[in-house]
Amino acid sequence: MTKIPVHLDINGTHHHLELEPRVTLLDALRDRLGLTGTKKGCDHGQCGACTVHVDGERVLACLTLAAQTEGRTITTIEGLAREGELHPVQAAFLEQDAFQCGYCTPGQIMSAVACIREGHAGSDEEIREYMAGNLCRCGAYPHIVAAVRQAALEVAS
Amino acid sequence: MTVHIASTVHVGRHGDASDGALAEAVGGRLSRVDGPAKITGAARYAVEQQLEGLAYAVLVESTIASGKVRAIDTKAAGAAPGVLKVLTPDTIISLKGASDWFGTPPLHKTYCPLARDITFSGQHVAAVVADTFEQAVAAAALLKVSYDETPAIVDLSDGKAGDGIPIDAMTKEWGDAPAAFASAPVRICAAYNTPREYQAPMEPHGLIARWEGDHLTVWEPSQWLDGMARTYAEWFDIPFENVRLVSPYIGGGFGSKALALSHGAVAASAAKMLGRPVRLVMTRPQTFTGYGGRAATRQTVTIGAGHDGVIQSIVHRGVNETSMDGMWVEPLGSVTSIMYATPNFSSKQNVVRVNSVVPGAMRAPGENPSAFGIESAIDELAYEVGIDPLEIRLRNYAEQDPHAKKAWSTRQLREAFAAGAERFGWARRTPQPRSMRDGNQLIGWGVAAGTYPVRRAYGEAIVRILADGSVEVESSSIDMGQGTYTILAQTAAETVGVPADNVVVKLGDSRFPRAGVTGGSRLAGVMTGAVYKAATSALDQLVGLAISDQRSPFHALQANTLVVANGRIASPRGDGPDISIAELLKSVGRDHIEATGDTMPANSTAEDRYKNYTTIAMSVPHTEGDFSRHSWCAHFIEVRVDEDFGTVRVSRVVSALDSGRLYNPKLAESQWKGGIIMGIGQALLEEGIMDRRHGRIVNNNLADYLVPTNADIPDIEVISVGIPDLHSSVLGGKGVGELAIVGVAPAIANAVFHATGKRIRDLPITLEKLI
Repeated sequence: MTKIPVHLDINGTHHHLELEPRVTLLDALRDRLGLTGTKKGCDHGQCGACTVHVDGERVLACLTLAAQTEGRTITTIEGLAREGELHPVQAAFLEQDAFQCGYCTPGQIMSAVACIREGHAGSDEEIREYMAGNLCRCGAYPHIVAAVRQAALEVAS
Repeated sequence: MTVHIASTVHVGRHGDASDGALAEAVGGRLSRVDGPAKITGAARYAVEQQLEGLAYAVLVESTIASGKVRAIDTKAAGAAPGVLKVLTPDTIISLKGASDWFGTPPLHKTYCPLARDITFSGQHVAAVVADTFEQAVAAAALLKVSYDETPAIVDLSDGKAGDGIPIDAMTKEWGDAPAAFASAPVRICAAYNTPREYQAPMEPHGLIARWEGDHLTVWEPSQWLDGMARTYAEWFDIPFENVRLVSPYIGGGFGSKALALSHGAVAASAAKMLGRPVRLVMTRPQTFTGYGGRAATRQTVTIGAGHDGVIQSIVHRGVNETSMDGMWVEPLGSVTSIMYATPNFSSKQNVVRVNSVVPGAMRAPGENPSAFGIESAIDELAYEVGIDPLEIRLRNYAEQDPHAKKAWSTRQLREAFAAGAERFGWARRTPQPRSMRDGNQLIGWGVAAGTYPVRRAYGEAIVRILADGSVEVESSSIDMGQGTYTILAQTAAETVGVPADNVVVKLGDSRFPRAGVTGGSRLAGVMTGAVYKAATSALDQLVGLAISDQRSPFHALQANTLVVANGRIASPRGDGPDISIAELLKSVGRDHIEATGDTMPANSTAEDRYKNYTTIAMSVPHTEGDFSRHSWCAHFIEVRVDEDFGTVRVSRVVSALDSGRLYNPKLAESQWKGGIIMGIGQALLEEGIMDRRHGRIVNNNLADYLVPTNADIPDIEVISVGIPDLHSSVLGGKGVGELAIVGVAPAIANAVFHATGKRIRDLPITLEKLI
């Protein structure tokens, strides 16, 4: 299959790749760029582990072709902390023990950051609903809700 | 929210379940030490290693459940761009048969991980290896497999399934249970079913295999590095020492990642054949048939009792499914035989062969479905005799292990009932079904108990005190989220006397001192024991050097001992020097101190050790010696059932649990809640659905096999009622990870009965069963 040039702006760094058009953003991140913080749990948009931000909105990287993100701004879990300072959502996840195995965690955190930004972290009920697209088999949900609640307050203040 | 009602109790040096005044000490609420790597994306899981020259393998699985592969047309796939190899039963290299996890020698001398004879749908029949993942996926779709199909036995309800094979080892009997049942004034008899369920860890199974000469390195998520290394070594007929398993982080296992499986053999074979490292990751659908989930089960529980609710007899019969060519026994009488006192008891079990992948371990195998039977049945008895479901459990409280006839090491189950009931408000419950409601919602309150045995074994660890005063711990054990990194850091920190952030714990490499399997909730007890021993020995060496080395500033002090705390070393009386560990090591000219902690019996041979770490044959029985050792729990659950639609929502959970002493309550609470949440999934959502025409699980993905989402889960309150149990482990802990799922499903079923008056004995409790 013919490769096409793809320019990706990821975590503030510009990447030029030659990719087959069928390559997903998820596989480009993990297999071409070594950005393995974004996880593959199902490859079908069912689990949320691959959640990244494209132009600030949460997107499932497994259902997005890399070529679709040409010229758009991508943030992955690796780009969330600024100058070594954890994002409030990351800090809250650690404090609340909002993960166990850690595999769904990058996707949960990227979703949580977006959930707060979208204004969907107003109550526990709302957080549960708007975080429901990110599965966690270890069952960290109550702690994820607590972490999102805590981070939302912090972001607002 | 969490309440520690036992926090005022202090027993001995190690205190109670929440004894850690300092977060860093054992028993403290230290945050996960591997947390920062996991929240920043820096934690690199096994298949994420970036290797030069990596090739990508994709599996092709059978589309029939029974029969033979007639032919595989590889022409188009072989000619597809980027394809390096098409592996079929005819072209893959021949492997040797490997022994099983008990160490039993193989039935067959050779092993082919790609099947010609098909015994279940989803069996691996071929694989394609290509330069890129996309090329391998595309080429795999071009393979044409033709079959000679034969009729399959699709599941336990298949007319051809039969009664199965009696498993005599599962028989437990005392008294005369049938006669006592026949003469009992109150008799209940009911059948309880659980479906095929799946572990569904978020990280799919997969691996990278790389050969260097006759040395094999495997990066693979693993609950058992040494056991899996043994299997790879036997398959490829190379020395055990030539296999290195690396598994620093594991994205969930729940029992499913303890054994080397056929996909691993395919990837390692491909890597050998190509002379290139090969990555193979199962697709999510393949994870439903590439290894076994929890076997479907059927149980009949009959209880004979007096009008006072006191049990006179229990007769229990169970069946679980297994595969055509493998044997899985899900011990269905495990809870039935110990939860309640009864003078007469009989439990027997059969297994039935069906065309399925061999079922496997899933969180609390045996105890989980067993508890669904007995904990539902005693609720039925409670209604039959008109006694409160909590009260009837206390009336039949087993003061000793009714089966082993031994004293419990510790059993804080009465305390669990009391603490849970109080917190939940059980006294406000009105007993009649359908008597509590909120508008259109019927409210039900249910209770059930759970238990899990304390599995014990031996372990090794190395503890090093380094020149800079930091401490390093090495072990081939693993952390899949239970908190091994953290509790071993706490154990080493407290024992040596350094801050926990001065401890680096290295896990997940089979080159490290050995640990055996991470399963059955045994790792924390095994490894804290080994690290405690190693750290104590390292500390003794350090203090010995400080006292006896002529270059030590303490030499002139002529002290018998010294105190090491917070990374500093001083005399107990406070006279003399007070220096850092680093300064001491510098003064005596040492760049490190190293000690091995080994809890194997002193006269163990090399063969004993190999057997201990690579099989489960040397696990210590939980009833060894004078005591019977178990963790215990009681779940109090509220459900809300929509009267018109039959939808069930769990709205409140209070669970009180006895896991003995908790090494880190913050992390133990997370595991407990995780078990409870998986139990909610089991009760209301999870079920492998069979296409009976093709013998195929059709909901083999995360959109159709429903695991709980955040929106399904209310706040959950867990209460620790454990006390240190030094008969169970060196530091007093029992098991944590498996325990909490046990009893959740019956507590929910009992709550649904209380809400609706309908007894659902067939999981999951879906709306069509209620309307």
